[in-house]
Amino acid sequence: MDELEAIKVTFFQECEELLADLEGGLLAMQDGNDDGDTVNAVFRAVHSIKGGAGAFGLEPLVRFAHVFETLLDAVRSNEVPATPDLVVTLLRASDVLADHVSSARGLGVVDEAVSAAMAAELKACTDPNAAPAPVAAPVVEAVAFEAAPVAAAPAETLIGADDALDDDDLGFDFQPMTITIDEQAADVAAAAGNVWTVSIRPKSDLYRKANETALLLRELARLGPIEATLDASAIPPLDMLDAEAAYATWTVRLETEEDETAIREVFEFVDGDCDLEITRGEGLAPDAALAALLAGEAPAPVAAPAAPEPVIVAEAPAPVVIEAAPEPVAVAPVVEAAPAPVAAPVAPAAPVAAAPAAAKTQQIDVPGPGQSVIRVDPERIDRLIDLVGELVINQAMLAQRVGEYGIAPSSNLAMGLDELEQLTREIQDSVMAIRAQPVKSVFQRMPRLVREVASMTGKQARLVMDGENTEVDKTVIERLSDPITHMLRNAIDHGLESPEERKAAGKNPEGVVKLAALHRSGRIVIEVSDDGKGINRERVHSIAIKKGLISPELQLTDEEIDNLIFLPGFSTADKISDVSGRGVGMDVVKRSVQALGGRISITSRPGQGSTFTLSLPLTLAVLDGMVVDVAGETLVVPLAAIVESLRPKPEEVRPLGPVGSVLAVRDSFVPLIDVGLTLGYRDSSPPPTEGVVLLVEGEDGSRAALVADAIHGQRQVVIKSLEQNYQQVDGVAAATILGDGRVALILDVDAVISLRRREPPRPAEPTLIAAE
Amino acid sequence: MTEEITVTGERRELISFRVGEQEYCVDIMAVREIRGWSPATTLPQSPGYMRGVINLRGAVLPIMDLACRLGMPVIEPTVRSVFIVVKAGDRMIGMLVDAVSDILSITDDLVQPTPDLACDAVRSFIRGIISIDGRMISEISLDRLLPEREALAA
Repeated sequence: MDELEAIKVTFFQECEELLADLEGGLLAMQDGNDDGDTVNAVFRAVHSIKGGAGAFGLEPLVRFAHVFETLLDAVRSNEVPATPDLVVTLLRASDVLADHVSSARGLGVVDEAVSAAMAAELKACTDPNAAPAPVAAPVVEAVAFEAAPVAAAPAETLIGADDALDDDDLGFDFQPMTITIDEQAADVAAAAGNVWTVSIRPKSDLYRKANETALLLRELARLGPIEATLDASAIPPLDMLDAEAAYATWTVRLETEEDETAIREVFEFVDGDCDLEITRGEGLAPDAALAALLAGEAPAPVAAPAAPEPVIVAEAPAPVVIEAAPEPVAVAPVVEAAPAPVAAPVAPAAPVAAAPAAAKTQQIDVPGPGQSVIRVDPERIDRLIDLVGELVINQAMLAQRVGEYGIAPSSNLAMGLDELEQLTREIQDSVMAIRAQPVKSVFQRMPRLVREVASMTGKQARLVMDGENTEVDKTVIERLSDPITHMLRNAIDHGLESPEERKAAGKNPEGVVKLAALHRSGRIVIEVSDDGKGINRERVHSIAIKKGLISPELQLTDEEIDNLIFLPGFSTADKISDVSGRGVGMDVVKRSVQALGGRISITSRPGQGSTFTLSLPLTLAVLDGMVVDVAGETLVVPLAAIVESLRPKPEEVRPLGPVGSVLAVRDSFVPLIDVGLTLGYRDSSPPPTEGVVLLVEGEDGSRAALVADAIHGQRQVVIKSLEQNYQQVDGVAAATILGDGRVALILDVDAVISLRRREPPRPAEPTLIAAE
Repeated sequence: MTEEITVTGERRELISFRVGEQEYCVDIMAVREIRGWSPATTLPQSPGYMRGVINLRGAVLPIMDLACRLGMPVIEPTVRSVFIVVKAGDRMIGMLVDAVSDILSITDDLVQPTPDLACDAVRSFIRGIISIDGRMISEISLDRLLPEREALAA
């Protein structure tokens, strides 16, 4: 049971990937790339989900996926044109499918009404002429049946196909014989003269995937009376027999009223694993079929007296690969198998190479051991990273101790330590690289969000994404989702105008929301921009005053007004909607971003749109910092915030107001902030000229001069969370452990600046009190 | 997996310790370790009872002055001072106390409710009072000891 659960977990992981592929493909179609490959990929994604779901008996999911798949199949074969409207419908269907997957997973519930409506819509698209599809019923059955260890069928190549499981290996003097299976045939009753010939030639892969020909025959028998003929002529003498190869070929004469699609459905899960040929009429002799296949084209109806044209030659969408063992083989990218016709019929070794000759064959290519991708439990990596962090601390500690003993830098010991340090760094970098991931995993959830929010707000929005492959540490990735979600919602809900307004303003009624990721100076920057109306500064200003967030007399620059939207409790939405306006707006985003050592800011141009810029450290595990002394405490100031450090000359320090003072840096004046005083380490500040000054830049670009007592130098430190065992502390971003084994706090520069702003000595100043 | 043996009601073990002249205790299952005092790094903007944080094998462990938390004068750490590392909810904290006294084995019927006259703050930190051999030992309610995360962050 546990094993099944484990497989199920793998299945759901694959579903995630497949859903992403599906959405990606549909979006590509939306952009006009509806070439065969894209459509095929989309079809395969749905098909694979359905197949896996069938194996686990996830009925609702299978049913929906089936309807979806049927439509995609029609699109694939150009029966239904892929119009933009259709693609939109398909996108919505993919959302419903995703809901079904989540629901099957036990996360959330599917809105049955929505699902049913969607299914009906899909059906309507599939069959504009309302030709009833007789396909449905038998399929579901077939799928349900597959719930047992996936069944399968087929014929076999001359080539060695394989198979230990082949039950026909019991004796070796096979004669072709006839098997009649009429289990269910009676129900179907003598179908009126519709005779089909199905030739099945399994490849070794079929058996390897635990499929079984007998079950396929049984499924066929459900469609109507069958007569199956086994051609065992390819079975070699015992001493030449490859136990893992597949040798048998079946030719089945089937009488049924169902159409070809129904027959093909039976073989749905062995697609690509067997050569399948379905012909109307009394079919080809097996040899002829073989010859035809080898010829690499639709077989000419040789030797088939009354044979009309063979309908299709095994066109194989990727088979559903449910790996029976939850091995860490991972991510089987869909690789297009070389459509080379099978050349040498005597190549027993190559299991994959035996791509059926059919033109459009595609197969899932499970990576060989050489290029394999490993699925690793993230906890193991986290543990490794923690350990490496400890190693870094220990190494620093050791170096410090050795330094205290005054050992010559040229001594063996010191040199050995240097090497250790270098190695430690390299190990740390490599380990961090393991956990780095492209932001794609977050980005790919966003198109759906945009669709939903747009339809909820009655706006037209198109999402343009850029830089999905930008890599960032997993710890950061996990925390990106919320802020991005919020910013996107905000961009559509508040940023974009309604289609009418846009038209009136001479814009395209469809608004563009852009989501981009890039690396900039050791940080990851996420930009969310819209081409909407921009921030209505007057309104923002008046609301902020009305809500008592700022004082009315305060003169603010445009930039300051824009940033008012980050104030807690600020929400400009006139009516509370599902989308935003819950009053936990941008201030929450800002808070969570700050907690990550990030910054968020907004720029806006009236009539042209707004851009949110979010910048975060690449990793939350290490940080480059400047180690400083303040009032006897050791603090680490993030290097990213420091512009320069200097020792102020007395003439550069100018008093301003009763207690404040500013530092003249070149031509500008920057407020001086005594860190010790601000954090409450001391009650009065020593003259700034006795200490050192770190010129820092806050997230909003504002500068401040932090006064510390002494600088110890730069160091890379391992970030330790304070929240894990305690809670967030104002002015402190996190903690770290220094070489001497003691905890040092990492300064939150922005918080220190805003703490200073609301300090009691200057109560009269109309400040952005709530801004922090 | 050995079956847990229950003797006459729920027998529990508690670690008792001294804070000033008073005795307190916590459930032994919550105690992770007991360590000698080492200087802590001061946390800014924190309530007075937070002594700061220390490095406990790579984790940042907040140290709380239990006496101060209970409204008594701050403990001046001596060589005999220890901190008891306890798990409170999903957090680990170190409680600075004067000295550990012993391990008690009690049943729940020995626990009396906290008398009314105690102030609210104290009452919310004390689960009950145990009377053993004429001593009065108050059991600490660990989940209330640390402030709510959000409450203080604002």
